[in-house]
Amino acid sequence: MVNHLHHLAKAFACFILAFVSITAAASAAEVEALLDRDSVPAGNGAIFTLKISGSSAAQPAIPAIADFIFQPRGTSNQMQVVNSLTSVSVIHTYVVGSNTPGDYEIPAIEIIVDGAKLSTKPLKLKVLDSAAAQPPAGIAPTPPGQPAAGEGEAETGEQRFGFLTVELADSKRSHAYVGEIAPVRIRAWLPNDARTQLRSGIQPEGKAFTLHNVSGQPQQTQEIKDGKRYTVVTWFGGISATKAGKYPASLSLDATVAVRDTSAPKPQRRRMGGPFDDPFFDNVFEDMNAPMIQKDVTLKSDDQEIEVRPLPEEGRPSGFTGAVGEFKFEGVQIPNDWKTGEPQQIAAKLGGSGNFALMKAPVITPADAWKTYPGKDEFTAGDEASFSGSKSFQFSAVPRKGDAQDVALDFSYFDPAAESYKTITSPPQKIQVSGQDLVDIEPAATPAAKEPEKKVVGIVAQHLALSPPASLVPLVSRPAFIPLLAVAAVLCVLGKILGWLRVRRDDPRRRALAAMELATREALAAAGECAAARDVSGWFAAARLAIQQRLGAAWNQPAQAITLAEVSARIPEDSPVTRFFLEADRQEYSRQATGEILPQWRSLLDDAMSSLTPSAR
Amino acid sequence: MNRNFLIGLLCILLGGNAVFAAAFDDANQQFKSGDFAGAATAYEKILAADGPRAAVYYNLGNSYQSLKQYGPAILAYERARLLTPRDPDLLANLALARKAATAFEESGLNPRLEAALNYLSRHEWSWLVVSGALLVGILAVVAGAVELPQRLRTAALIPSAVAGFFIVAGAAALYLRRDEAGRGIVLTENATVRLSPFEKAESLGTPGAGRLAHLGVETGGFRYIEIAGTNLKGWLASNDVAAISGK
Repeated sequence: MVNHLHHLAKAFACFILAFVSITAAASAAEVEALLDRDSVPAGNGAIFTLKISGSSAAQPAIPAIADFIFQPRGTSNQMQVVNSLTSVSVIHTYVVGSNTPGDYEIPAIEIIVDGAKLSTKPLKLKVLDSAAAQPPAGIAPTPPGQPAAGEGEAETGEQRFGFLTVELADSKRSHAYVGEIAPVRIRAWLPNDARTQLRSGIQPEGKAFTLHNVSGQPQQTQEIKDGKRYTVVTWFGGISATKAGKYPASLSLDATVAVRDTSAPKPQRRRMGGPFDDPFFDNVFEDMNAPMIQKDVTLKSDDQEIEVRPLPEEGRPSGFTGAVGEFKFEGVQIPNDWKTGEPQQIAAKLGGSGNFALMKAPVITPADAWKTYPGKDEFTAGDEASFSGSKSFQFSAVPRKGDAQDVALDFSYFDPAAESYKTITSPPQKIQVSGQDLVDIEPAATPAAKEPEKKVVGIVAQHLALSPPASLVPLVSRPAFIPLLAVAAVLCVLGKILGWLRVRRDDPRRRALAAMELATREALAAAGECAAARDVSGWFAAARLAIQQRLGAAWNQPAQAITLAEVSARIPEDSPVTRFFLEADRQEYSRQATGEILPQWRSLLDDAMSSLTPSAR
Repeated sequence: MNRNFLIGLLCILLGGNAVFAAAFDDANQQFKSGDFAGAATAYEKILAADGPRAAVYYNLGNSYQSLKQYGPAILAYERARLLTPRDPDLLANLALARKAATAFEESGLNPRLEAALNYLSRHEWSWLVVSGALLVGILAVVAGAVELPQRLRTAALIPSAVAGFFIVAGAAALYLRRDEAGRGIVLTENATVRLSPFEKAESLGTPGAGRLAHLGVETGGFRYIEIAGTNLKGWLASNDVAAISGK
């Protein structure tokens, strides 16, 4: 029983080890050293954290620094799961400090992780004179282990569980334009020592902005803000507004966050002696032993205002249809040969970044020589948030004027970076238009021509013919699908069986055997008739022929060619076959034409035939 | 007796078809006159009484799109697409509806592969597999029953290769589109995805009308959904989402 439990425990330990190894292997090896503050009064300590991410790492070798003390505080394993991304790390914690004021540098610490030698960045800690470090009157001293003055601004109220920030992705810009889908970076700042589970996507709080295309897989980084370390989850998305003005870009995100409860009652620390056995360090150790509290919170961005400017009237091209961004032609297809009044398809592809949703087809020039009809378009996203990509247009155009022409496509858009309108033109193409110039033309047959009763712009007309009834359930999901495949399988098996039967039927050896058996039966029947007619010589001749048929099949030679001499040479003399041949030979020369067929002759024939049946051979 | 029965059955079928054709014409007239709501109701009645028809679904989609009800419009177009996947009018109007609803379909596949996969409906791909398998079976029977001359045996490689292509291509397409059986469309603009299948459960977000959703289990008037292309997953009121396959 004990052994059984022991094995079970070993198996469980192996499973845990394998699980940790696998998850650790999934994350990149990394080492990182951190100080929780830049300066500390002499005699007080700062927290030095050495975080090693990876599946296997050697024990770190802490360098010796004159007058500088490293006090190991403990090691912990940390596993964080944020949005299904798992990271495993080992965290070594030290309380560091000195009793001698001065500038100290903790040099790079080299650690071998997963076989690779990694090193931390050097860190500096200023140890202040205790007297100089006293805060001015009226300001409460900052206990060790707590954020220094000015660092705790983000710790107030619900913000200690994290918060959101929203900013335009282009740091050079402070405003967006009406109709523009302005790329924004949305960041959730989650306390580094917190365990967080996101429970929703990013939601806009107000009506002023519309949030578009938020990236599905956020990026995750570690960042320091106001002296506090955060796990930052970053999404990219776009916001757009339809009216000019200044609007708050408030967003929210539901999450369940567990943080250390620093307000919980603190247990008395046992005095063990040593350089850091000082009440100043109590808060450091108490914080690390504080219990976790979990809370469902809604992380919100501050009401950060984003200015939305109207598109300028000045310089607006006549062909501008509302596209905002930066675009270029990626391809144009214009047929070379045209005929006035007859429509053909023109295809164009525009790529770039911007609000592809408001983008309309480019205009063919010279405009007065053409009449165009609405066509179709298709957008292909170039990135997860659909800011960049390409849009393909296909539309019908009818030439009004004959003769050779240079045609091109024009497309106008507003470039928010340059804050001006731009018109791009595809490379001119020489085409030939046959036929007379037209004044008022209608296309012979275009998609637009067959929609006279269309009520909504862009919708292709109703279908007037009633199509036959059908089922929405595809055959693959219907019960008949498997039987149909089974029928096909049965046909395959049937074909195989038929083939086997055909081969068997056409086998020349089998056919020869069958012919031999038939001839044997006929010879025996003839012998029977001779016996009834008391024809002794005929009976012997027919019976011998039956035996010859069997011998011929066995020896693979014509039955009639088998003689007594050959039988005597190949078969022992006492065998019924040889004896029958001898008797038949004797009767042939005895000239006894008629008479009874003696029982011993019949018996001899039966023995001979039995010895020559295929199974007997 | 049997002859009379067949004639009677034919008359009933033709008569029924004439009734639905008349109702279809009336609905089209309503649409033409601008009564989109009335037309939508009439099309829904035809579908309820007569079963799925591509033209009715298409026209129903147009009616809803004219009413700017993009969720039901996209649902009707998607159902029509199950029946007529290559109808250019249908694809154009579906694209318009998606664009208006900002509910773009993203499969994550290569566009050319996606176009090839969608060229046939799943029903047609299924028939391609079955016809390929039956062709293989018939060829096997013929080859088994008759000893074909060498020339014909060589020629039989062509239908064999075609049948093999049908089976492989069809099976691959059905495999790659296997998730489509459980697809649905969010019908209402303010449909709220909730953390739990309860009316007062916490909101996780509003996907918007017309968004494609992968449908899960249904319980207590709520259905578990995952909005395609996002991380939004949770419970949506059953009335706010409908399966494209109708089930």
